[in-house]
Amino acid sequence: MGLTLTNVDVVYGGVIQVLRSANIEVPDGKMVVLLGSNGAGKTTTLRAISGLLHADLGEVTAGEIQFNGKNIANGDPIGIFDLGIVQVLEGRKVLEHLTVEQNLRIGAHRRSDLRAVKHDLEKVYNYFPRLPDLLPRTAGYLSGGEMQMLLIGRALMAAPKLLILDEPSMGLAPMLVEQLFEVIGRINREEGMTVLLVEQNARAAIRQCDYGYVMDGGRIVLHGTREQLEQNQDVQEFYLGLSIGEERRNFRDVKHYRRRKRWLG
Amino acid sequence: MIKLLQVLIDGTLVGLVYGLVAISFVVIYRASKIVNLSQGEVLVFGALFLWTFTFGVKALGYDMPLWLGLLVTMVACVGFGLLLERFVFRPLIGQPAFAIFMASIALLVMLRGTAQLVWTAETRPFPAFLPGGALQLGPFMVSTKLLIGALFTIALTAGLHLFFTRSRRGLRLAAVAEDHNTALSLGVSVRGAIAVAWILGTVVATFGAIVFLSGRIVSLEVASIGFKALPVALLGGLESIRGAPLAGILIGVGEAVAMAYLDPVTNGVASNVLPFAVMIGVLLLRPQGLFGWKKIERL
Repeated sequence: MGLTLTNVDVVYGGVIQVLRSANIEVPDGKMVVLLGSNGAGKTTTLRAISGLLHADLGEVTAGEIQFNGKNIANGDPIGIFDLGIVQVLEGRKVLEHLTVEQNLRIGAHRRSDLRAVKHDLEKVYNYFPRLPDLLPRTAGYLSGGEMQMLLIGRALMAAPKLLILDEPSMGLAPMLVEQLFEVIGRINREEGMTVLLVEQNARAAIRQCDYGYVMDGGRIVLHGTREQLEQNQDVQEFYLGLSIGEERRNFRDVKHYRRRKRWLG
Repeated sequence: MIKLLQVLIDGTLVGLVYGLVAISFVVIYRASKIVNLSQGEVLVFGALFLWTFTFGVKALGYDMPLWLGLLVTMVACVGFGLLLERFVFRPLIGQPAFAIFMASIALLVMLRGTAQLVWTAETRPFPAFLPGGALQLGPFMVSTKLLIGALFTIALTAGLHLFFTRSRRGLRLAAVAEDHNTALSLGVSVRGAIAVAWILGTVVATFGAIVFLSGRIVSLEVASIGFKALPVALLGGLESIRGAPLAGILIGVGEAVAMAYLDPVTNGVASNVLPFAVMIGVLLLRPQGLFGWKKIERL
């Protein structure tokens, strides 16, 4: 069970192929991280899962996206939301002109179990103790870190089975990133919530995850458990910024080496 | 002095009617980011529906109670709003603003033509829903009809504001007003919200027709109130429900003052021009209007 992508191709506008035969598995209760540089196809993967490709004229042209045994490829985003897949879009998309409280309330707008909603609100306050003080504030004027708390809180209010986070660390100070990932890790462990996390900030993300995938040029080029990733030379070099030898590498060699590596995918 | 106060009272009451029509612009704009220039024609359609289901049926020999006529009219308005949304504006979602703008002008002409074809261009009496006459308050005369209309506008504004900020359905519409993609990612049906917005817009426009026309004459010329309400909607801010009646009062009072003091000197031009001079001023100085959403830009 959980989420499984099998040989998924995504094509934009009928001509531009962005995902090439991507295979990803997100087992129930685990935290999986998807790494990759700009344009590697990470966000496209997420949009394919949550059914938001359509707005950008994208389409899953091959393969299957299974969630708990149901094929949701090219599905209706609201139907997918109702199955329990909730995505936090990249770029801190709070509802700017609404208050923090209204933002949180809208997260739970499709739920009728009001008592559980109240309980979940307490949980959100527990993970983000700063939020209760911000309730009457206009969301658009929060700081970047506060917005990210609000966004994750809003997603939790929907009581998701699978929480998808698209680059939550973007534009945050390193210390805030550490704290944020720690909370995300806690949510994963304490709630048993399945989390799929897309990141460029690999170090903090890998530390919290159970399993990781590395994408490049629309393909999965590498995957492994946390330990495997942390020990993998390529990951160390490209994502964790550790050099292997004593001397510093020539950037041209790196580029060359990397270009060669791409073919391995 | 008494004349000035009387002018202010009249201006305020008429202005609130403009505000009512402006609300119909606002609810549609919030959800779909479409300024429907043919909103005045939509209002005339509402008025003609109402005529049809009151005097029209009576002329055919059926006697329909007024409340039933009103109910059927509202149902017709809902259908009409959905029709416009589904066949004219939904296919245009995502097109440049200019395409939508031109489509709403085309719709304006088409609706005018359709109204003439179906109902002919003759003028008709409009049922008097609200009591006519005027209240004598000290030295002032207050039109009962406009007073009721003004109170209705204020109540409707308060109600809609609560709806958009408190109720679930309203919050969904507010989310759609902010950003379609974000709304979709939160499981909000954008199409559904836009359809609801068009229904609301059409129904509110018909309320405007009832207040404005009660006991008067319906003709296609009435559609010009749409153009009077457009500067009001812009001044109040296209996203702001509460801005609409306030801006309506400002424009209504300005218009009444101009009518009383400037029109005699300017051959009646001043009061007609004023709202549009305000409109250009708003667009130049404060494009988001008084209470509209300023794009929040953070550095």
